[in-house]
Amino acid sequence: MPDLFIDVYDVFMRTYPGFLEATVVTLQLTAIGVILGTLIGLIFALMKISGSKILRGIANLYITVIRGTPLIVQIMFLYFGIVEIYTMSNFWAGAIALGVHNGAYIAEIFRGAIQGVDPGQREASLSLGMNRKQTMQRIVFPQALRRSIPPLGNQFIITLKDSSLVYIIGVAEIFSLANREAAQSYQPFESFLVVALYYLVLVMIFTFLLRLYENKLDVDKA
Amino acid sequence: MIVGKNIHKSFGDLEVLKGVDLHVKPQEVVVLVGVSGSGKSTLLRCFNFLEMINSGEITIDGHTINPKKEDLAKIRAEVGMVFQHFNLFPHKTVLENVIEAPVTVKKMKKEEAKKLGMNLLRKVGLEDKADVYPSKLSGGQKQRVAIARSLAMEPKVMLFDEPTSALDPELVGEVLQVMKQLAEEGMTMVVVTHEMKFAKEVADRIIMIDQGTIIESADPKNFFENPQNERTKQFIQLVE
Repeated sequence: MPDLFIDVYDVFMRTYPGFLEATVVTLQLTAIGVILGTLIGLIFALMKISGSKILRGIANLYITVIRGTPLIVQIMFLYFGIVEIYTMSNFWAGAIALGVHNGAYIAEIFRGAIQGVDPGQREASLSLGMNRKQTMQRIVFPQALRRSIPPLGNQFIITLKDSSLVYIIGVAEIFSLANREAAQSYQPFESFLVVALYYLVLVMIFTFLLRLYENKLDVDKA
Repeated sequence: MIVGKNIHKSFGDLEVLKGVDLHVKPQEVVVLVGVSGSGKSTLLRCFNFLEMINSGEITIDGHTINPKKEDLAKIRAEVGMVFQHFNLFPHKTVLENVIEAPVTVKKMKKEEAKKLGMNLLRKVGLEDKADVYPSKLSGGQKQRVAIARSLAMEPKVMLFDEPTSALDPELVGEVLQVMKQLAEEGMTMVVVTHEMKFAKEVADRIIMIDQGTIIESADPKNFFENPQNERTKQFIQLVE
């Protein structure tokens, strides 16, 4: 057993400078995936609750296709479909794939949050003479946003972990480094254990920050 | 002040209002009573265009409204509404709830709106709660804030949709007290309620709605002592 600790320690010490760099790439992928996904999600959520049948249809199609296919297929599709046509780095192809993928899930989070706001809120706002736009902007959206924070946080954590799939198109994030280390050192077990710990620590930090933020919201408005 | 002529309203196949005529005079307090499902709340919601009537005519302050052509927000601003479940905005403080519509709709300056808001909160006895969030209030306090919020738009008429039905019994009095005060100040009011004591004391007229039509309309004394319709007699026996 102590041997394992020593081996893991060795792998850790040998790789951590590279891993730090790779961690930055992973965090960048996650950040872009989350930001892009939130923008796309917001647009498609609004389309889904709009009065227009065409907009609703487009949003439904997008969500169905994205949720119905694996992320790894989407990454490959985007990589070969778009990088081949437009010059785009592997990194951006991967980041955009993550964003597009997230967008479908975040759209459903936003839609659920907006529709989950008590209809009485809308009625009260309208009864005061506020128009539809004012009612949405000032009454419904702020409440929907608060409701969507816990599921969004969950989605962000999934994105962080899903970013590992981008290794398939050769982006030097954490997982691809672990993969290479495993091959070079013939210590796959130790290498993947180290990378697992990296992800675990990142997720724990993320969860902690998220909880701080949620608690702050609760204290403000309780 | 509010006139409804031959109002029909259906939800799908279910006809809820079957040709209702109602004329509420300025400064009049009209109490609508009836068993649940009779259509009294629907009628109230039609006057605020939260429900659209299928046929008939609604006139507010001499102005007949064509809901398809007009800016409903402007009309709703003149008709205050108080809901059974208060519907305060939980993400805003008590004062922010009250000044939301004056600031957003009337573009009132914030300082001015705050002054107005504090005056209204004083009126309903809650000025010390101005900066707390609604979740910290009792039901009775919430409803008093909701009344202040409606009054902030200076409506010509106030509609109350079972304002005390969701309250614990000991909190009903404080809300009715505020409503009584409003009536005494000359506010035109249409109130759906089961509080017969309030109806007796405050109403100028009590209207009984049954199965989507008005079957009795009389001043409180005549309504309770000399009801004409058989169903009204049954109803009065039931509530007394």
